[in-house]
Amino acid sequence: MSRSLRVRMTVSLLAVLVLALGTLSVVVHQVVWGALVKQLDAQLADDASAVAGMAEDEGATVEFEYESLPDFERAQRPAYFQAWLDDGQVLARSPSLQGHDLPRPAPHGSRTEFSALTLPDGRPGRAAGLRQPLRIEEAGPGTARPSGRYVTVAVAQGTETVRASLGAVRRWLALWVGITMVAAALAVVVSVSRGLRATRDVAARVAQIDAARPGPFLATATARLPDELAPLVGKVNELLGRIEQSFARERRFTADVSHELRTPLAALRTMIEVVLRRTREPHEYAAAIAEMGDVVGQMQGLCENLLALARLDAGAVPVRAQPVALRPLVDDCWRVFQSQAGERGLTFANQLDPGATLTTDRDHLRIIVSNLLSNAASYTAAGGSIVVRASATSLLQVDDSGPGIPADVLPHVFERFVRVDAARSAGVHCGIGLALVRGLGDILGLAISAENTTEGGVSFQVRAAGGPAA
Amino acid sequence: MRVLLVEDYQPLARALTQGLREAGYAVDATGDGRQGLALAEASAYDALVLDVMVPEVDGLAILARVRAAGSSAAVVIITARDQLPDRIAGLDLGADDYLVKPFALDELLARLRAVIRRRYQATTNMVTLGDLVIDSAARAVKRAGKPVPLSAREFALLEYLALRRGQIVTRTEIWEHVYDFAAEPSSNVVDVYVGYLRRKLGDGEGTRRLIRTHRGLGYSLDVEAVG
Repeated sequence: MSRSLRVRMTVSLLAVLVLALGTLSVVVHQVVWGALVKQLDAQLADDASAVAGMAEDEGATVEFEYESLPDFERAQRPAYFQAWLDDGQVLARSPSLQGHDLPRPAPHGSRTEFSALTLPDGRPGRAAGLRQPLRIEEAGPGTARPSGRYVTVAVAQGTETVRASLGAVRRWLALWVGITMVAAALAVVVSVSRGLRATRDVAARVAQIDAARPGPFLATATARLPDELAPLVGKVNELLGRIEQSFARERRFTADVSHELRTPLAALRTMIEVVLRRTREPHEYAAAIAEMGDVVGQMQGLCENLLALARLDAGAVPVRAQPVALRPLVDDCWRVFQSQAGERGLTFANQLDPGATLTTDRDHLRIIVSNLLSNAASYTAAGGSIVVRASATSLLQVDDSGPGIPADVLPHVFERFVRVDAARSAGVHCGIGLALVRGLGDILGLAISAENTTEGGVSFQVRAAGGPAA
Repeated sequence: MRVLLVEDYQPLARALTQGLREAGYAVDATGDGRQGLALAEASAYDALVLDVMVPEVDGLAILARVRAAGSSAAVVIITARDQLPDRIAGLDLGADDYLVKPFALDELLARLRAVIRRRYQATTNMVTLGDLVIDSAARAVKRAGKPVPLSAREFALLEYLALRRGQIVTRTEIWEHVYDFAAEPSSNVVDVYVGYLRRKLGDGEGTRRLIRTHRGLGYSLDVEAVG
């Protein structure tokens, strides 16, 4: 089957048309044929009756009084008749027979019977056969009575006029079928082309959409858009909507990343400029440089997160599993947040068992733990507490004293670019940390979840998900 | 001049506070928007330096509230957001200036001087009163062509009196504009500093008094008295 909609529709419509018009033509042909034959037969019957009337029983002999009928005498395509008596004696022949015989009919009763035959001159023809009593002429004109003897008459005539009429009918039918088919094919081609023009319009409009800014959307209510295309356009618009949303998220993400990088950069610049404004005591330089080191550490953390996220997206995250001692890892990760947490009066407790180990990728686990700690250090209200421990259900969990995460945000905290509150981010948070945690967790076979605790805090839990780390 | 700094990123807030103080400003700093708003409403700041993204009440909201309350304090917005709509929003809300992080400390100081100057209807950083020349940009004072070395606080006091020259300035006003909350409050600290300043300027020693005392009211730096 052709892949062109136009060809397919045309072919199937034409097939249906051929079937319907063919059947109709055959029926019309048969009806016309029947009517013409009936007309011919009526004429033959009249002729047979007339010929039979020419015979007269005169007692001893039967007299045939031929009254000239032009049909039986003309040279071209004449009609024929022949009359017999019951004893087989030929009573009369039409002049056109020129001594030839017509087949003698044997009609049942008084009915006129019809049959097809080949005429003596070779033409196809039709014959009527009639057997009726001879008539006895009475005294007085126009009166007669039937005698006890019978005459049998055959009248034959060529069917060429019937065939000619039928031929004309056939030609008209053929012409009609042909014109109808061509018109139908044209109609299909035109209407399908029109319909497809709308698809081309839609395609052209889709082509005009700026990939970076999907919108304005396609109009669904234009006059030329067929109803069948409306769902397609609707779906395209839905897709554009989703793309635009994701672009908006990306733009916000870029703005957020830029914000999060500019803020520590601004701090570094100002710190350096303030320190350099005048000559200072060595301990002042030392303090300033230490503080700059903290800021650099935070920026490094953000860069590592961005890099890890990019690798995660590229699917290029190698896993090198080895036994990792959890307690020292947590202490190590916490160091970066120590001063930030200290300023906000947060207390930190690492309650992990000193011997607790997990066989997994150290670098990825470090990023996971760092982000969970960073999250806790940033969002826990001033004066609160952060506890890292293991429980019966978790390998490691980071519990803080709250505030809790709003119920409508909780299911989405691990989604990229989602932040609890844009204005709440006190450190380096642009909605990628927890997304990264979840992504890396998946790779390491760790299930990481968040829940609000009954004490009003938040608990992030790391569990084995039956993967390589379990 | 007294400045309120609302910035939640502590390393930046600390460095800015130090930089502003060393440039002679009295600085109150907070990382919390709600506290920032309370401070801005409670005290007569010459300028507010507001970060946009701070917790609880963001910088633009503080600006809107302060302006709605009729404050004429100069406001400089500092933010990491550099998109045009962000800047327009800040300026439309009544900010006097807008700085995108990271910025040079010198630029922040220059813009602060400019917006504070505008607040006191001054057009340049140089104030000349007879033979006394005060250069706010260079933080230098000359009397009769000779440099007068002043401490940061003495300079701030003279600068404030110069900006309000010809007017009687109360001790409370001086206290509010020259000292921040980090300063130890004491009943006669203003009088003590006015005394220091007079001595360094050689005021009244063979010349007419530049800084006049109005008993029970305050002090004034008099234009007519000069020369």
